[in-house]
Amino acid sequence: MYAAAIGLVLIVVFVPLPSLTLKGKGAVRGAMAPAERGASSLWQRASETMAAIRGIGGAVDKNRELSHELVRVQAELNRLRDVESDNLRLQRALDFHQTNPHELIPCDVVSRSISGWWNTVRIGKGSREGVRKNRAVISPDGLIGRTTEVTPLTSEVLLVSDPACRISAKLARASVFGLVRGTGSTLTGEPKARMEFINKDIEINVGDEVVTSGLSSAAGEFPKGVHIGYVEKVYRDNSGLFQYAEIIPRATVGLLDYVFVVAEAVGGGQ
Amino acid sequence: MRHRLLMLTMILFGALLQMVLPTWPLFGGMKPPILAALVLHYSLRRDNREMWLAVFTAALMQDGLELGSFGPALLAFPIIGILANRIRTEVFADGLVSQVIFGAVIGLFFTFITLLIFTASGQRPFSFGLTLLRLLGSFILGMVTLPLVSHSIIRLEGLIPKRRTYGWQ
Repeated sequence: MYAAAIGLVLIVVFVPLPSLTLKGKGAVRGAMAPAERGASSLWQRASETMAAIRGIGGAVDKNRELSHELVRVQAELNRLRDVESDNLRLQRALDFHQTNPHELIPCDVVSRSISGWWNTVRIGKGSREGVRKNRAVISPDGLIGRTTEVTPLTSEVLLVSDPACRISAKLARASVFGLVRGTGSTLTGEPKARMEFINKDIEINVGDEVVTSGLSSAAGEFPKGVHIGYVEKVYRDNSGLFQYAEIIPRATVGLLDYVFVVAEAVGGGQ
Repeated sequence: MRHRLLMLTMILFGALLQMVLPTWPLFGGMKPPILAALVLHYSLRRDNREMWLAVFTAALMQDGLELGSFGPALLAFPIIGILANRIRTEVFADGLVSQVIFGAVIGLFFTFITLLIFTASGQRPFSFGLTLLRLLGSFILGMVTLPLVSHSIIRLEGLIPKRRTYGWQ
């Protein structure tokens, strides 16, 4: 019996059946989506409460003579600050949505990778809402990644910092093209990416802005001119054909709760 | 029945908790292996049928909610389950030292299997430094996770009122 079970498992593991795999995953993710949303919002509330409690603790330590009333007021102030920052964040997202030329699908981030092997987030919209595979996912801060596995209710977003994420990019100040590939994160948790295959005769400076070139998809779903990051370090290899630059994709640092999937890009894919 | 329902609820809750927990770059970006710890806990304490139920539910959760092919958990969890179920009468599963050792072993084993599958199928690039960090990270996280998970479940199950039995039953 054990042999049969292990044989079956080995078949499932090593025989690639993408459509069947996606159907299976769609079923699991669809069933888990409401619970994920609930857990995500609970976790967020718990974090906010902890932040508020830390604020109260600090105030009490600093001002022991303050009355309970002041503590209560401070807690209220902390809460209002959270509300204000939420308001500003949502306002910014709304402005971004309204002023962006591309057709965008607003989505909420419902969860992150379960094991830490992939730099991914899961968004709460899938093929039913018009999300398709390999679409750009952006925020007001720039490019976040691209959609990979799309199920009816959820979609998996591969972040720019993941080694499997490759995006055609260029320097904003000149038409210098290259390929941005994720390189994981630093020991301090900061996401990293690298722009590769840059012509070695072109001079690149630290601080140069890197944007999408719009060449990442043949059908033109990937928009061009979306901010990816700034050049942090340049590596020149005199013996090689190319040079490469290290960039930090800022949009994925402390990822927002709301992101936008580009349903249709204006002026992409040339 | 109630214990089986609690087991499935715990696996569901474990999957959610594992997802919302943050990753630590110092541990190679690994997350605490809560689902693997649940599989080991139930395999050491339940009969064969419930062990398989726990193994497949946890494996479906782990692989279904992860990017890439079905595989790492579907391969590693049955092996953990079978081995643990076989030795369950020979080990003192409630001891802290055994739990710390078992936790470290399952953390390391699951990461090793995942690494093997992802590297062999070309889904993840291999980097020696990061691999070492991940193995070390999962070793430590497993050591911490299993005793916590095991203790929590034992406490929770203790809260469930026992069915009243009579002398002839």
